[in-house]
Amino acid sequence: MTDEATTHGPQSDSGFAHASEAEFARILDFYEVAWQYEPKVFPILWDLDGNVLESFAPDFFLPDLDVFVELTTLQQRLVRKKNRKVRRLRELYPGLRIKLFYARDFRALMLKYGRAALVSELSGASGQVTPHQEAEGSMEPGKVRAGLGRSGSQKDGADLTVPPASEEPRPGREHRSRSARRRAGRRAASAAARAATS
Amino acid sequence: MKPAQDLVADVAEVLLSEEQLGAKVAELGQQITADYAGRELTLVSVLKGSLPFMADLMRHISLPLRIDLMEVSSYGGTSTESSGLVRILKDLSAPIDGRDVLLVEDIIDTGLTLNYLIRYLKGKNPRSIRVCALLDKPARRLVEIPLDYVGFQIPDAFVVGYGLDFGEVYRNLRFVGVLRPEVYES
Repeated sequence: MTDEATTHGPQSDSGFAHASEAEFARILDFYEVAWQYEPKVFPILWDLDGNVLESFAPDFFLPDLDVFVELTTLQQRLVRKKNRKVRRLRELYPGLRIKLFYARDFRALMLKYGRAALVSELSGASGQVTPHQEAEGSMEPGKVRAGLGRSGSQKDGADLTVPPASEEPRPGREHRSRSARRRAGRRAASAAARAATS
Repeated sequence: MKPAQDLVADVAEVLLSEEQLGAKVAELGQQITADYAGRELTLVSVLKGSLPFMADLMRHISLPLRIDLMEVSSYGGTSTESSGLVRILKDLSAPIDGRDVLLVEDIIDTGLTLNYLIRYLKGKNPRSIRVCALLDKPARRLVEIPLDYVGFQIPDAFVVGYGLDFGEVYRNLRFVGVLRPEVYES
């Protein structure tokens, strides 16, 4: 557990792939809603040999509310790929609840909270964390930062280590760049599938 | 301060007229009267947006009732608040233990504030807590909380009037309208 993880109040933007995610985490903290950042990677596409070709790790899981949240601040015309992934996730894991927040939803949220001026800097490519920013203070690899929650079953700031590979969706393990996490997720999922079929 | 006619001009579309609001509030009042017959009801209004709704609703409830007011800080309300946790700015003025409580809200959007309030009020041991919301905007709902009484389900638009504000303005409009985007985009 890190000191940063147990701090009540604003979380550092480091460790998030996008500034909008950090802002969303601050909103959840404000309303005392427990959260976990990318805690699970869900395989969503396999080849004929059972190897995982594609995975999806929703940005947030809110354990007390049992819902995943995926944020995208890309323009609406660019979110087709993400829509497809979420649709596939819902088909494969029908019991799973996931809420997709589009750019327009995030913008409306910022407007509601009187922070419309932040929208442009938290949206799209301009809100992405650069490799330089990440190097200055990324989350410890292999850990998941849990948010705050007054009545949550999740301990504040608990470190969740990665369990052994299995066929079940697994906790995310890295908080470097988004693409690195995706690649790592795909690699881990492939390894799990290979282990299961060998 | 803007003149009243400018406030109306800032509205792109009247979503709910004064007549529609009045009829619905009366209907809700009758339903609540029937449901709580013979019980002691406390209406809790969440400031500031639900004030007009509360004022109208209570006059359509034919029961002996108490009213109380609460106010909670909103995320981003000030730079100080945005860096902390939600706070009760105004607490209940009387105990509610053993009483039936009806939380009166203007609009339910994400459900985050309502979720916090219900948890807080449950800690005061009321006999029951129900929620009466004038407007339900489910598009961005994060916290699924059963709404016992709902006036209208509305589309995903930025609405003002009948208590709802943008930058503390427009609350005194007699209708609920969709604010012109150029107003908040500017």
